[in-house]
Amino acid sequence: MTAARFTVPKLRLTQQLKTPGGLPVAEAITAAQANLAELKPMCIGELHQLLEAAEKTFAGLGSAYDEAGVTELYETAVRGIGLGDICGAGSVDVALHSLCDLLDHLHTNQHYDAEAVGVHLRAWRLLISTELPADGAQAVLAGLTKVSAKYGAPKEA
Amino acid sequence: MGLDPTSRARFNLKDSSVLLLDATPLGMTILVQIVTGLGAKTLHRCADTEAARIAVESNQIDLAFIDSLAPTGEGYDFVEWLRREAGEPNCYTPVIMTTSHTPRSQVSRARDCGANIIIKKPFPPITVLERIIWSSKEGRKFLFSDTYVGPDRRFRNIGPPKGEKGRRREDFTATPLPEGRADATEVDDAAGETSQMSPS
Repeated sequence: MTAARFTVPKLRLTQQLKTPGGLPVAEAITAAQANLAELKPMCIGELHQLLEAAEKTFAGLGSAYDEAGVTELYETAVRGIGLGDICGAGSVDVALHSLCDLLDHLHTNQHYDAEAVGVHLRAWRLLISTELPADGAQAVLAGLTKVSAKYGAPKEA
Repeated sequence: MGLDPTSRARFNLKDSSVLLLDATPLGMTILVQIVTGLGAKTLHRCADTEAARIAVESNQIDLAFIDSLAPTGEGYDFVEWLRREAGEPNCYTPVIMTTSHTPRSQVSRARDCGANIIIKKPFPPITVLERIIWSSKEGRKFLFSDTYVGPDRRFRNIGPPKGEKGRRREDFTATPLPEGRADATEVDDAAGETSQMSPS
């Protein structure tokens, strides 16, 4: 059994939050959202740049598993997560999360599936570039989740 | 946690020293925009763990937003270092871990690094504020052991597993929650913390 010691620390933050003055919750949230709205053009630009980088990497990959290529794709996709929500395209975040899940599965199993990766990249472009109706975007995302989950399912004995 | 975004209750981050670690310039900008919107003024912006260590060694940090830094997960190592090596008071700093995606191989690192809470991107400002308030709760035990240093991860005390002898000192007093009230502790705690903010 390992030795353990507990303490109950006093946090300066607890007192600071209660210091008179400060901001009402509603005002602070509005200010933070307004700050984020200013970033919308930057986020759209970044998502396009990342997509182009991912497509370039993908085009350079063959049909066999390539450790460096899969890692590079993962690094590119993971940087985009969170940007879609700021530019009003939250479905891009879901698609990128699905792509990262897929690439993680492929990396874990040292396996490559160009079609599964390709469909994610095409979806990324579709979701970022067009005004898809909400149910259309949902259908795309449901398809992507199925593709990435195929590799996440436990192997049958 | 359920904070009402239209609430007029006040909170104050003006005097808090906030550490931000994110390797991507845009990720850092997003964090900065959120925390400055919430009223924080003193920010230590770090693009890598070395810069974050220097910031911790030369400042008292009241709150930290640490990105996991996927795919390497260096952010988890940094939080472990903060908990084990930074010394008081910074080792107790509330840490909100941010992550875009957690590879399966890093789930246990995320769980064991000692962060107060992990939030997944994208995170709206209301979520960030809820987590700040939740992390600032006093009275949560902090554990030092060979294998884990950080806030006690056990939120609910419903007694030891059925048929087993409890290991907590207080286990013998625990009474199971009624059916359907499994989350009562967390919900009640969050509500209590929210009510500490003074109304405008």
